[in-house]
Amino acid sequence: MTFRIDRRSFLLGSTALLAAGAAGINAAWAQASSLRLIFWGGQPRADRTYAVTDLYKEAKGTDVQGEFLAWNDYWAKLATQTAGGNAPDVIQMDYRYIVEYANRNAIAPLDDYVGTQLQLADFDQDQLEGGKVNGKLYGISLGANSVAMLVNTTAFEEAGVTPPTNDWTFDDLRTMGEAFKAANIRGGMKLIADGSYSEPMLNNWIRQKGKELYTADGQLGLDEADMTEWFQLWNGLREAGICVSADEQALDTGPLESTMIVSGKAAMIPANSNQLVAFQALMQDKIDMVGYPRIAAGQGGGHFRKPSMFFSVAGSSANKEAAAEFINFFISDPEAAKVLDVERGIPCLPAMRDVVAPLLNEQNQIALNFVSNLGDLLGPLPPPPPAAAGEIDLSLLRTVGQEVGFGARSAEDGAAYFVAEAKAILERAA
Amino acid sequence: MAMSTTTLGASEHDASTRPSFWSRLWQNDAPGYLFLLPWLIGFFGLTIGPIISSFYLSFTDFDLLTSPEWVGANNYIRMFTNDPKFWASMRVTMMFVIFSVPLKLAFALGVALLLNRGMRGLPLYRALFYLPSLLGASVAIAILWQQIFARDGLVNDFLAIFGIVGPSWISTPQYSLWTIIILAVWQFGSPMIIFLAGLRQIPQDMYEAASLDGAGRWRQFRKITLPLLTPVVFFNAIIQTIEAFKSFTPAFIISGGTGNPINSTLFYTLYLYQEAFGFFRMGYASALAWVLLALVGLFTAFSFLTSKYWVHYDD
Repeated sequence: MTFRIDRRSFLLGSTALLAAGAAGINAAWAQASSLRLIFWGGQPRADRTYAVTDLYKEAKGTDVQGEFLAWNDYWAKLATQTAGGNAPDVIQMDYRYIVEYANRNAIAPLDDYVGTQLQLADFDQDQLEGGKVNGKLYGISLGANSVAMLVNTTAFEEAGVTPPTNDWTFDDLRTMGEAFKAANIRGGMKLIADGSYSEPMLNNWIRQKGKELYTADGQLGLDEADMTEWFQLWNGLREAGICVSADEQALDTGPLESTMIVSGKAAMIPANSNQLVAFQALMQDKIDMVGYPRIAAGQGGGHFRKPSMFFSVAGSSANKEAAAEFINFFISDPEAAKVLDVERGIPCLPAMRDVVAPLLNEQNQIALNFVSNLGDLLGPLPPPPPAAAGEIDLSLLRTVGQEVGFGARSAEDGAAYFVAEAKAILERAA
Repeated sequence: MAMSTTTLGASEHDASTRPSFWSRLWQNDAPGYLFLLPWLIGFFGLTIGPIISSFYLSFTDFDLLTSPEWVGANNYIRMFTNDPKFWASMRVTMMFVIFSVPLKLAFALGVALLLNRGMRGLPLYRALFYLPSLLGASVAIAILWQQIFARDGLVNDFLAIFGIVGPSWISTPQYSLWTIIILAVWQFGSPMIIFLAGLRQIPQDMYEAASLDGAGRWRQFRKITLPLLTPVVFFNAIIQTIEAFKSFTPAFIISGGTGNPINSTLFYTLYLYQEAFGFFRMGYASALAWVLLALVGLFTAFSFLTSKYWVHYDD
């Protein structure tokens, strides 16, 4: 019997409370034959995950007790549990936090288990590299994904504009935007959301110019001139009515429902390849995906196959071997692969990709094709971002982007402020 | 020698007949404390304990993953000298307190006066007007508020009748805080109930005497209702001010925890939350919490000091 707790069921009432109490007791009496697992995500991901833990129990007799939270709540909970020395054995980890957790020994290096518990001979090399910190393996990628531009093809059809392909450039974006504006569909739907404070979009753009947002030694990889150009680019699109206005973009507060594509204010938004399914579920219109626009025709290298998430093992875990064994099952068991589908990204073992491919629905097929055929869009894997990257994204880029968007700062002023503050934040965190 | 023996004997005698403080406590009060135990454990374990440790943490750098590191008053110094976001969030919260509290109290008093006229179906109206307060700050409210105050929302539909094209109120920096102030005013239920109870306490014969003397409604309100209601106004003002300082959920829900747009709804508590659970600076967040506590304490003390000039007690 596995007890599964999430906030919703907790709120459902006393039965959930009882379950929570019982799970607490179970955790306290945990033995080697049981593991604890924590991950972020929604109910659909939880259903898939628990189906795999059930399979694992059948196969190996080990009970894996899962717990899941929404992204925003997840990191606070995980940090609290880690501080209390009570972190679950298996931890879902993100590229953004892996360095911080590894440097503090909150997660354990897994190199000792490779070849025994962990069979990684066929594992995609770039995905394996992505889980390394200072040369040691700290996370096993659960799937690859890539940033992608989601395209509302129904709206494009209505506007009589040909949707973009992977070859499209920022110039094409302007041309399409003008055509879209002239068509004036659905009360003035714009071509694209305001991407001026989308960190992945900025990163993709700067990588095409041969730089990185963050260098390997954790410094800011772009300068004031770059940022000025970036803000000016979006100012131009905003003024021309090609992207949405600043006050409309500000309505996007995070949930998919509030994004410009779902609320029908724009026909394209920057997102991730694995999110197509979730977005399509919220929309009547048909959506497709292409790469982010190129800075010039034929210019690539902005994209990379990002490990969408990892499984790591807690540094404090008493059952590291068992945890590694479970992770191996999770990534390499064909039955598990069927259940997991590509919900966490494209599987990193070719054998599992073959298992999954024929079963995919239309959206996932699109995502798989997109990530497998990035071609010259694909560049090298960037170094893992420094610990303060999250703060720079949420607290600085967002605010400055809005200030420039609302006209409270000029592009030059915003760029200067962003670069100075980002450096200060990086320094403070170092 | 003899004397000392007597005193000693006397005290021995005393001790044998009168149970000691501790045994008295045990025999008489033990059941009481036993029943209080769940609360006591909660109070010391979950309230006092964390308060004390947060005070200690406010002098440290603490990221949850590694143990706290003593940094002296650095957190407080940085806050006041080198943190524009601290001042930005302070400004937002002060604006919110200064505008939402008087508006909410005036609105609650107005509705209470209307309901205090012995109308039929009073309990129903009371419940209906209380309803918004029960809804609190839920996701449903966030969506409702967007429907009302977005560019294509209800308010602009209404303004369009007069040919006015309104902005997206909820996501424009100049107006977004006001949508949250309106939300606070709309949730006027609890001060209204308290005002209503206060109004019931005012003896009817005073109004009768006043109207015999020819005092009109407005004069009655100013000379009888308001003065006699001042203790209730005072109580409500204190409670609502503290609530307003602590206000967190509306901004958190409506802006998705971002303080959007351009930090125009970055409430002090929201900033504190971001520092603590967004960026794991528990030390700095603890310091922020203590500054807030001091501020609320100052405000409350100030209110009590000035109260003797405007609050009238019957007796």
